[in-house]
Amino acid sequence: MRPDLPPIHDIWVYLAGSPLFALLLTLGAYAFGLFCYERSRRNPLANPVLLALLVVALGLYLADMPYARYFEGAQFVHFLLGTATVSLAIPIYKGWSSLGGRFGVLLLALAAGGVCSIAVAVGVLSLFQADAALVRAMFAKSVTAPIAMGIAERIGASPTLTAVFAVTTGILGAVLGRYVLNACRVTAWWQRGFALGVAAHGIGTSRAFSVHPAAGTYASLGMGLHGILGATLIPVVLRWVSG
Amino acid sequence: MIHGFLQLLAFQALGELCSRFVLPFIPGPVLGLVLLLAYLGVRGSVPASIDLVGSGILQHLGLLFIPASVGVIMYLPLLGANALALGLALVLSVAATIAVTALVLKAAARPREDDEHAP
Repeated sequence: MRPDLPPIHDIWVYLAGSPLFALLLTLGAYAFGLFCYERSRRNPLANPVLLALLVVALGLYLADMPYARYFEGAQFVHFLLGTATVSLAIPIYKGWSSLGGRFGVLLLALAAGGVCSIAVAVGVLSLFQADAALVRAMFAKSVTAPIAMGIAERIGASPTLTAVFAVTTGILGAVLGRYVLNACRVTAWWQRGFALGVAAHGIGTSRAFSVHPAAGTYASLGMGLHGILGATLIPVVLRWVSG
Repeated sequence: MIHGFLQLLAFQALGELCSRFVLPFIPGPVLGLVLLLAYLGVRGSVPASIDLVGSGILQHLGLLFIPASVGVIMYLPLLGANALALGLALVLSVAATIAVTALVLKAAARPREDDEHAP
């Protein structure tokens, strides 16, 4: 005879108490998101992160698990964000070699784009007199999400809201990018790519790689440089402005 | 693979230390990025082990910010109450950023022979 199996409820309590449930849910949801993304032939609207967010949120709701408990388990995935940020040096370094004498022009365009991103987002929200927490979370949203969350912590914004605005910005940029660029009559692939990388970081970059290799390389550069400069300048300028 | 992971973690730790003691207003991982970039520049190439692990992680960057982003469920009422303002802010901001960045490049960069153009 087999020993009595514990009732299903006990198994559930055991799993929910360990990091396993949160990790399974996170990775499973992401795998599902990736599957849908590939199935839609990489349509930026079927963004795997966005789909995974919906699945995880639904899972937590069904399991009646508070967010703090989920994060305790999922923090092992979260930790790798720092390592991923360090790894961004690789695409920046690789893009560097194809740069030639364009560095100054790229910095100029990046500065204009970065300031514009903050000015428009903060301006519109102030116009609507939106909550201050929302306005703060807008400052780093065009920077790639892992760095944006680091900036958010330093400027007293919510890393969560910043990450969500960053993901949304990436998706919007990937979807709208070609229309905006066509309307501006910008045709050189490297210019189109760089603009996408600056405005829509990782999601814009993968979009750029899927249309043209030069666009992708310059998009990585745009994303990486925006990350470094954003992390350096946004906290300093904000402290200076708010006295 | 272990070797690459070890080196990336070492640069991350170095960055955290610099952030803690030298440049507290810059996040540690960003300083790790800059240090790794400097190392690659001095070395003149990307070591295969670092490339393997680093590029692997970057390929699934999206996975890594799921745990933090799920926290958005706690902000739903706030987001819902400001939906119109947020939507407008995000759409206008990203469109303006793309346009401004691209137009500055177009105006300031000298065209080159090897530039490829969209049809």
